[in-house]
Amino acid sequence: MSPANVKVTHGATRAGRARHLLLALRSVLVSVAGIVAVVLIWSLVGRLLAHPSLLPSPVAVLGALRVLLAGEIGADILASIVHLAAGYSIGVVIGLLLAVLCARFENLDVFIEPVIEVLRPISAIAWIPIALLMFGVSESVPIFLIAYAATFPIFVNTLDGVRRLDRLLLNAARSLGASGNFIVTHVVIPGALPYVLTGARLSLGVAWMAMVAGELVGGDAGLGWRIMWYQEFFAMDKVMAIILVIGVLGFVADAALRGLQRRLLGWNPVES
Amino acid sequence: MTDSILKIQAVRKTYVSVRTGDTIEALAGIDLEVPAGEFLAVVGPSGCGKSTLLSLVAGFTQPSAGEVLYRGQRVTGAGPERGVMFQDYALFPWRTVLGNIEFGPLARGVALTQRHARARELIRLVGLDGFENRYPHELSGGMRQRCALARMLANDPEIWLMDEPLAAVDQQTRTILQDELLRLWGDAARRPGAPTVIFVTHAIDEAVLLADRVVVLARRPGRIKAVIDIPLPRPRPAQRGSPQFAALVAQVWDLIRDEAAKAIVEEIDR
Amino acid sequence: MSRRRSKILVVSALAVLLLAWEGAVVLTGAQASWPFPSGIIRSGFAITADGTLLVALAGSLQRVITGFLVGALVGIPTGIAMGLLPWVNLAMRPVTESLRSIAPIAWIPLAILWLGVQGNAALFVVAYAAVFPFILNAAQAARAVDRNHLRAARALGAGPGLILRAVVVPSTLPTIFTAARIALAIAWSSIIAAELALGVKIESGGRSVAGLGQLMVATLYVKRDVNALVFGMLVIGLVSFLIDAVLRRLRDTLLPWARR
Repeated sequence: MSPANVKVTHGATRAGRARHLLLALRSVLVSVAGIVAVVLIWSLVGRLLAHPSLLPSPVAVLGALRVLLAGEIGADILASIVHLAAGYSIGVVIGLLLAVLCARFENLDVFIEPVIEVLRPISAIAWIPIALLMFGVSESVPIFLIAYAATFPIFVNTLDGVRRLDRLLLNAARSLGASGNFIVTHVVIPGALPYVLTGARLSLGVAWMAMVAGELVGGDAGLGWRIMWYQEFFAMDKVMAIILVIGVLGFVADAALRGLQRRLLGWNPVES
Repeated sequence: MTDSILKIQAVRKTYVSVRTGDTIEALAGIDLEVPAGEFLAVVGPSGCGKSTLLSLVAGFTQPSAGEVLYRGQRVTGAGPERGVMFQDYALFPWRTVLGNIEFGPLARGVALTQRHARARELIRLVGLDGFENRYPHELSGGMRQRCALARMLANDPEIWLMDEPLAAVDQQTRTILQDELLRLWGDAARRPGAPTVIFVTHAIDEAVLLADRVVVLARRPGRIKAVIDIPLPRPRPAQRGSPQFAALVAQVWDLIRDEAAKAIVEEIDR
Repeated sequence: MSRRRSKILVVSALAVLLLAWEGAVVLTGAQASWPFPSGIIRSGFAITADGTLLVALAGSLQRVITGFLVGALVGIPTGIAMGLLPWVNLAMRPVTESLRSIAPIAWIPLAILWLGVQGNAALFVVAYAAVFPFILNAAQAARAVDRNHLRAARALGAGPGLILRAVVVPSTLPTIFTAARIALAIAWSSIIAAELALGVKIESGGRSVAGLGQLMVATLYVKRDVNALVFGMLVIGLVSFLIDAVLRRLRDTLLPWARR
């Protein structure tokens, strides 16, 4: 049993507030110092050990990023987002549907789960050659891979969430006069929601990786594809700039889902 | 007794252990009648089937043999006329205090204004004013307890089934909640149609303090060892520390001491 | 439904499915462009018998294990330091968070440039993929070390070295084992991705069959053998299944107190 949350009130006094501010400032400084150190090491290694075309300097990458942002990268970002949106929504819908079916009908579960367990160890990546064969080099390759990758985490987590529903809470609902659909809408769904959202976030993570890999190996547009494109021209500064963009967008997408999680699950004491 | 609200007749309950495959007899041949309006306490060492007995009355599980009759009808499932207060509260973590309390009326289709009015009345009654919009994890143990009590009361159940409801709070809170429970039930002036209570506890003094009768269960298999009348005058809070009270506690304790000692040792291989 | 009956049902349903698949492909005469069960078995037997599969598998596994070990060696101490020392955490968290968001495979062009096409580029991608699960889980585990255990150890007279060895390491080990499972799964899928990307770069035939990924690209573009492709995919799945099973068994043997 978790103890009740006791809110600690910080720094009611002026001195306390000042101290608090100072501590916050110091932690920001340390964090910034960490990033600065990495950038310094990067440029030092580039200058001392490697040819600038092998490891472009931070300044060069920033320059390349500026050029990209001013021009062609918009189309690539858009293409990637389209791939992701299409593949992710297909994967999530399939995963949710299968999980609900498994939870609702035990007989169906007997068939679905073994199939899932056989497919799950075969990562989306392993499907790339087959996907290339089926679809040729096209947008269908990343979309298929994204959908495939996204299906499993949301399936597994949703099913887990429904199964883990506290027996006690179901009993409580029944003894309060609830039944059937009311229990589904008022107990099962809210109870499973944290697991569903965790699944959605995990799905997005693997979908993101599948997107980059799919575009890189078998796509004809998107950020992953663009990396290979610039590699052909040996434009390593632009390659690194796109890597940066991929990192930032991935981070933003995850943060967005985390925000959604916090918004919808204000009642949930466990921070994930 | 003809006006028994609850009749438990030759009830047995066996489980099959998932781990060993053995059959475990949780309850063996329980016979019990509870008249309407009685406060009945059930005590016994851990593993004596106290909670199983309550689950049977609540309708969460069915007896392996025998019958549980509520107002002459066989109990086949849970129902709002039999309110339950769970040991670990079983509050819905995603609903606020208000949301938990109004859950029963909501499930039964009571209109919004009515159920809010009832919930607010109960919130005042159990002393949770100002905490309506808190989530369960933001409450202290005692406050969760009050919330669970109010949630049960919101359906106006005829019988209160309470499974060690005060086990998880500290001693001071416990004393206060005992007094409040008695007050809500009608300790001082029992009105006609007052609720019937089945109160499961492992605390003997609590059972003696609250109840009209105390059922002592023995373990392995769970069965009734004795039923003791508690003739203490009401209101009860004044009886704490009276010699008569102490004597009754000692009497009950004598009945379960040996079994409790065995339970401690056997607890290991459970 | 009893357990045995449902098992029999599942197996027979799968058998019917496989037969239907075989029948559909053979009867429509599409053996050339569609994979089918007996063809998969035949092709699988062929590439296993002539040794190409085993050579490729060994190459991939060797790089996965090396990359995984590099990831563990870098990730575990970093993570534990981040979990125990707040200022290390402050300095490292933004860096690890931003690096983590980059799909490992995106580094492939640079890795090729730095380490060459043969195999080490894939090794870099694998190590990169494996390091983050270790960092995250070790940090979380070190933060979750029971403060009272630390206090108890100190009260019993233990110095920093002993505390690290006898309290911190054992209590973080179960979580680090979980990290190892995640890391190895990611590493395995990354090696295939990296090798596929490498393979696509050098399409000119069987010359560079250094790993399973390259083998699959060669099968796709040179031999055009659909059945072998599916067989390769099944092998990839089987290996990741086995890796997970072995690690789980290992955890139960090495850390009996953490068994769930």
